Amino acid sequence: MSNVKDYMVRTMNSVTPDDSIRKAIILMYRSEQSVLPVVDHQNLFVGTIYSNNILKNIIPESFGFLDSSHLFYEVNEAVENLKYVKDEKVEKYMARNRDAVKENSDMKKIADIMLNNKESLLFVINDEGYLRGFIERSNLLHYLLDEAEGDGE
Amino acid sequence: MITTVTLNPAIDREYFVDKNEVMKNQFIYSHEDLKVYPGGKGLISAINFKNLGYGDVQNIGFVGGKQGLFFEKMVQKHDIISNYIYTESEIRNNVKIIGREPATYTQYNDYTFKVEKEEVEELIIRFKRSISESGCILMSGSVPEGVDFNIYQRLIKIAKKKGKHVFLQASGEALKLALKSEPDIVTPYFKHHKTILDMEMNDKEDYLRAGKKMQEMGAKRVMIPFHCDRLLFDKDGSVYQLSPKGYCIINWLGASDAYNSAYLDYAFKTDKFDFLEANRRGGAAALWIAENKEIYLDDRKNYNSCLDRLEINKLEV
Repeated sequence: MSNVKDYMVRTMNSVTPDDSIRKAIILMYRSEQSVLPVVDHQNLFVGTIYSNNILKNIIPESFGFLDSSHLFYEVNEAVENLKYVKDEKVEKYMARNRDAVKENSDMKKIADIMLNNKESLLFVINDEGYLRGFIERSNLLHYLLDEAEGDGE
Repeated sequence: MITTVTLNPAIDREYFVDKNEVMKNQFIYSHEDLKVYPGGKGLISAINFKNLGYGDVQNIGFVGGKQGLFFEKMVQKHDIISNYIYTESEIRNNVKIIGREPATYTQYNDYTFKVEKEEVEELIIRFKRSISESGCILMSGSVPEGVDFNIYQRLIKIAKKKGKHVFLQASGEALKLALKSEPDIVTPYFKHHKTILDMEMNDKEDYLRAGKKMQEMGAKRVMIPFHCDRLLFDKDGSVYQLSPKGYCIINWLGASDAYNSAYLDYAFKTDKFDFLEANRRGGAAALWIAENKEIYLDDRKNYNSCLDRLEINKLEV
């Protein structure tokens, strides 16, 4: 049986609910991750901050349906909105879900969660709830390829 | 979880050529002649711990730019938990060109990496929350530009406040300031300095004076490299000299990190800590690395085979 810990990416890259949105954005582009785990001051996983969520809160009207004729106006408005949002706390924009997976979970379970919930990335915690890293679709594909080629037997 | 700290990481690139000549293009066609690996004293120890079978080992520090992300990927390949503050500035590359005939060694060390004040403060915040699960913190290596020399002092203070044991390997001003926070174990190194606490190290008396001084300033136990030996300063005031016998050194890289790792490995595994035994294990690991081409430890059995070639004598000080 293959476990999450065999395929996951081990990293503590994270923000806390008290951190500013500015800090989360900087961390997102420097680490090239559009989703970050939110942890408390003991490194226990408490939620997720999505770049989509930040964008939805700064781009006016219907995110994802930008009319090209209004694009210039709307981007300017987003910039203006971000001037206020950037100093707000992560806790206001984070998802307080607990959809993290355990590092000892079976990879088959991950396939199920990722495909059914359409999550492209899941954060990984240990049995006590401390952050350990993440697992994403490319890791799932890696596992599936190993299975297909017989390494998982 | 074991935590190690690497403030000034680098990507080490080793190029092996038949003959190192200036004004000549060299072409490398074999993977064996090109080695690229993540460098940094704390990180090498982290890899040692992982190879010795420890489950969770994290490395905390700075990485920067696209090369920093590449560095992080290499660290994760070793199953180490990366815990880095991403800096604006690109991290360093150290290029080593090794000629075979005649045997030459040319090194270009890159010192362009710079850390901003905001990034230092971010490291402090991250460090505070990341050591919750660790009983012992190993801090080792140099301090990059932009980071004040009191960085180890600040980190040790945080760790001690949370009741953690601290093993420090540092040099120069960073070492001197760190002693104020009373680290448990201190071992200085001489990469850029031939001094300890601003004292010139010439003869054995100088080293003995420096060890005692470090204890007066706050260190509980001290180990000082003394040529190929180590001078050991126990917390009860006793001083010893550890000496390897009948050795042939072919590699220094990774030896001191192996020493630190094996010392702590013994400390983690025993209920009855013996300072001299911990140093014997450390010495054996360093000796094994020094006599092999390896940088990392792999198995306790390998380096423990060197134990009977180490001698420890008490010094009258």
